[in-house]
Amino acid sequence: MNETAAASASAADGGEPDREADATDSAGGPDPVVVGEGVRKSYGEVVALDGVDLRVEPGEVFGLIGPNGAGKTTLVRALTGTTEAEGDLRVFGAPPDEVDPQRVGLLPQSFDPPERLTAAELVDYYGGLYDAARDTEPVLRDVGMADDADAWYEKLSGGQKRRTCVATAIVNDPDLLFLDEPTTGIDPAGRRSIHRLIERLAGDGTTVFLTSHAMDEVERLADRVALLRDGAVVAVGAPDALIAEHGGEPSLEVALDGPASEADVESVRGAVRGALSVGAEEGGAEGGADASGSEDASAVESTREGLRIGGVRPEGIGTAVDALEAAGVAFESLAWSEPSLEDVYLRLTGEEYSPRSEGPDGVTRGGGDR
Amino acid sequence: MSRFGRIATEASAAARSFLRRRTAVFFTFFFPVILVMIFGALVQTQPTGGGLFAEPAGYYIPGYLAVVVLFTPLSRVGSEIARHRDGGRFEKLATTPLSRAEWLLAHTLVNVAIIGAASLLILGLVLVVTDAEPVVSPALAALPVFVAVAVALFCGLGALLGALADSQDGVIAASNTVALPLLFLSETFVSPGLLPEWFLPAVAASPLTYFARGTRAIIYEPGPWIGDLAVLSVLAVAFLAFGAYAVPRTD
Repeated sequence: MNETAAASASAADGGEPDREADATDSAGGPDPVVVGEGVRKSYGEVVALDGVDLRVEPGEVFGLIGPNGAGKTTLVRALTGTTEAEGDLRVFGAPPDEVDPQRVGLLPQSFDPPERLTAAELVDYYGGLYDAARDTEPVLRDVGMADDADAWYEKLSGGQKRRTCVATAIVNDPDLLFLDEPTTGIDPAGRRSIHRLIERLAGDGTTVFLTSHAMDEVERLADRVALLRDGAVVAVGAPDALIAEHGGEPSLEVALDGPASEADVESVRGAVRGALSVGAEEGGAEGGADASGSEDASAVESTREGLRIGGVRPEGIGTAVDALEAAGVAFESLAWSEPSLEDVYLRLTGEEYSPRSEGPDGVTRGGGDR
Repeated sequence: MSRFGRIATEASAAARSFLRRRTAVFFTFFFPVILVMIFGALVQTQPTGGGLFAEPAGYYIPGYLAVVVLFTPLSRVGSEIARHRDGGRFEKLATTPLSRAEWLLAHTLVNVAIIGAASLLILGLVLVVTDAEPVVSPALAALPVFVAVAVALFCGLGALLGALADSQDGVIAASNTVALPLLFLSETFVSPGLLPEWFLPAVAASPLTYFARGTRAIIYEPGPWIGDLAVLSVLAVAFLAFGAYAVPRTD
């Protein structure tokens, strides 16, 4: 995968792409596979795409994430020439509807192929429409459907259907593969096989444009991710970079025998602040902050299972435990977690919702926004 | 893959998909059979008084054929377009080399084959259950051509209806609305003499009229039919062209 792929997209907040770096990086390099500038699309008064800029480099797995209705599928349609959009949009240097179809594979988000055909017949059928196509058997093997090749499509499970549909998208061995939510309804084993397939395709030089609601999937597979909100790209970059910039701090989940009371929270907050500050002095934490990395103690909040201490880095876990004990809080278990792409998504889409912050009475306690 | 290869691939998949839908196949053939049994065997032709029909049984052969030539392509192609649209199939096909015209041509070929078989069944049934006596002449060889050309024409019209209607229900309602008056007002079951004179231009404007006239001139009342075939062919090309243009590609 192309780790040096240049980031480029309009961004409304901290995810501002580095346009100058883009130009520099791309100078003399291979032509981008997809270039979009000011892409707009409206359905009546509803604006689906509102000036999207993007650039996808050869061999890159480009992830597109965003809430329902953000414009992801519309953007895929614009890029595949199945909907008309304003702005400058080029795929392999040509307008999308003039691209050699041999070079493009598409798995639409909502796709129901002709009925009463077997999985093998469906792959045969779509392969038969191209000048050159792969043999059906290895294609079905790629998506883990070789054993069910002769089953009628409508008799397959939801996951098997989706995998068969993925097979129809790769049968022409495309240079650019659009996968609009490819693993929807697929069980974990099936997802793994699709992930391996995407990794293998990308390794062989196929550019993959992937949209998904499975953040772990995008985080694992994508070289770069663009986050679409209300028809505009609000952040773009490598998953690690986005997480570092927007994901927030790591946190420590403290399981109690129920949600912590306000008194407990205050008590722990004070203890943690003191203890971690001491730990910081002892440990020489960088930047003048405490070992937790948090600037203040407001990161302690009540959750459904107990409480949560934000900003605890691995080296601060022991200190945090000491602080809990000092505050007289008896906990059942601890779980430390790093921020993920999902945190980035929740934060940047403004859809952040933390059921852990909700007490059994439905009242939210503590800070909701991480 | 050549254009021929793509059309063959699409037609093969469409035919297989249709032939495995037993209910669809059964009713495609059963519908005209019911019609022939009701009108040809039960009501019968009683030209001397009584009965529904005023002409000899042979006169209505084009009408029986018109049932499948008209209804089947309209509803099949229209519904197929609605199903394709609902299932995102056109979105997928738009990224393949298959063009809209090739898609429609492939489905037209499948319809020609299906309706050709149904027409043979109807013809045999009419001969068995009515006293119709078809004229046997070399011109009879043109009968399949009439059927094929008319099917192509109504496949084009079906594509237009499928593209205009926003659902399968809409397609069925629209095709029935179009087909029913065409069926009865195109010199098929109702002879022009039974219609007011002011309505005759409308009869002449119906494409099915040329199918009825031409096939009747071949099988019942020998007469010139080349002109009818020519008109039908021109209309078929026009409707196929408009239909192919109407086949959805974008949303």
